Amino acid sequence: MSKTLSKGSITLIAIGVVILILIGGTLTTYNGLVSKDEAASTAWSNLQAQYQRRADLVPNLVNTVKGYAKHESETFENVVAARAKATQLSVDADNLTPERARQILQAQGDLSTALGKLIAISESYPELKASENFSELQAQLEGTENRIAESRRLYNESVQTFNTAVRRFPANIVAGIFGFEKKSKFEAQESAANAPAVEF
Amino acid sequence: MIKKHALIVLSLLFIVAAFLPLNSVAEKWKPETLPMVFLQNDHRFVCNPDGVLSDSAVARADSILYTLYKQQGVQTVVAAVKQLDGDDPYEFGMALARKYGIGNKQSTGLIVILATEDRSYQILTGRGLEGTLPDAMVRRVENRIMVPLLKNKDWDAAIVQTVDALAKVIAGDTSIASDDEEDEDFGVVMGLLAAVFVGIILLMMLIGYASIKKCPKCGKRAMQTVSKKRLNRINSSTWLVSKTWKCSKCGHTMQTTEKENDNINGYSGGPVIFGGGGRGFGGGGGGFHGGSFGGGSFGGGGSGGRF
Repeated sequence: MSKTLSKGSITLIAIGVVILILIGGTLTTYNGLVSKDEAASTAWSNLQAQYQRRADLVPNLVNTVKGYAKHESETFENVVAARAKATQLSVDADNLTPERARQILQAQGDLSTALGKLIAISESYPELKASENFSELQAQLEGTENRIAESRRLYNESVQTFNTAVRRFPANIVAGIFGFEKKSKFEAQESAANAPAVEF
Repeated sequence: MIKKHALIVLSLLFIVAAFLPLNSVAEKWKPETLPMVFLQNDHRFVCNPDGVLSDSAVARADSILYTLYKQQGVQTVVAAVKQLDGDDPYEFGMALARKYGIGNKQSTGLIVILATEDRSYQILTGRGLEGTLPDAMVRRVENRIMVPLLKNKDWDAAIVQTVDALAKVIAGDTSIASDDEEDEDFGVVMGLLAAVFVGIILLMMLIGYASIKKCPKCGKRAMQTVSKKRLNRINSSTWLVSKTWKCSKCGHTMQTTEKENDNINGYSGGPVIFGGGGRGFGGGGGGFHGGSFGGGSFGGGGSGGRF
């Protein structure tokens, strides 16, 4: 290397280095966004699985309560209708618009309320309340409600992480090129998705 | 005299102040403030800061849970307190789980909460334990064993028998087992450490050997200092020393003059380094070592209620 490099080749090397850095940076940012996107999708499907789990509990629960309280048909119909509505609405995380999220939360919230009323029936039927089968079904329902809350928290956290990443500079440029868009959180609004109201 | 009285009064105040916390109203425990005994001692799982449980009950529960931990890798935390801040045992348990990552890689953590003055209880199962201990099974243990005893205010029996029942259910499931991998990892780490340690010792011996003077007559590294005398000080920390050497092989003697640093010990740093090592090993002797949680996660499974 006794010969000094010409100006032209220095410029070329400099441009090459800059391009390499740019490509490397883009790759890392892109991969980071992909894994955060995937984390959010996984969290979303977990949440859906927990909703499904609750829907699957409903027939058994309704039948058990029916065995002790035959004359509460209105409550049973409400639960069955709310369940049908809630299971119809499903969407993958990528297509989740705020409007869609509101609809799902509303439907699941209605099911929560209907189930809350179903559980509350037991207060007027001592035999039902004392039944071990009912008690265990109730525990499963409560556990599932807890799982839904926890899954929803985790989903919102992963969306938060993803959205922060998408909006940050310079990742926002990469996100713009590859079409990563901000995701909607899945949060309870006003009256929707309240915990089941227990009425005595 | 006045000064003396003031001193006595002051010291009395200090003594009273020192005992005050013991007599004050029971603390409302937060997930952050609850002392986690497992971290100090991996044989202990029951946090009993208010003394709700007797020592013997704690010991029995601990021994059941230690067996469970060793045989099936299930990390359990039992918290028996009087009151919880916020009066929500579910949230309390979940916060504990999030804070410490209770449970191993398979997430087979288990949390049992009892708040006697809140009259509430909660059992939480880690994600990996939900199949072994479904919510309905947890509720059955609560209905049949825990709650009747709680209603009788028999806290000791409630905790010991509940823990025993849960451990038996878990023991029946052979699909979850203790992380043998972890032990292997531990073995590998210990092996590496030992290798590094041996390597360092060998290196030190080599350096030590190389630093032994060669005998100019027989050529063996066997010269030993027979006597040395400080001639004069060069600067504040360096002396000019005259040494008499004798070869331990052939008996050749010679004299040198060299510079020597004025260390406090008069020797090089070597022995000081080893002095520290002894203390390090001594620390572990006799006592139990603290446990560490494996980063397990809880998804909200389990069951709880009020009595």
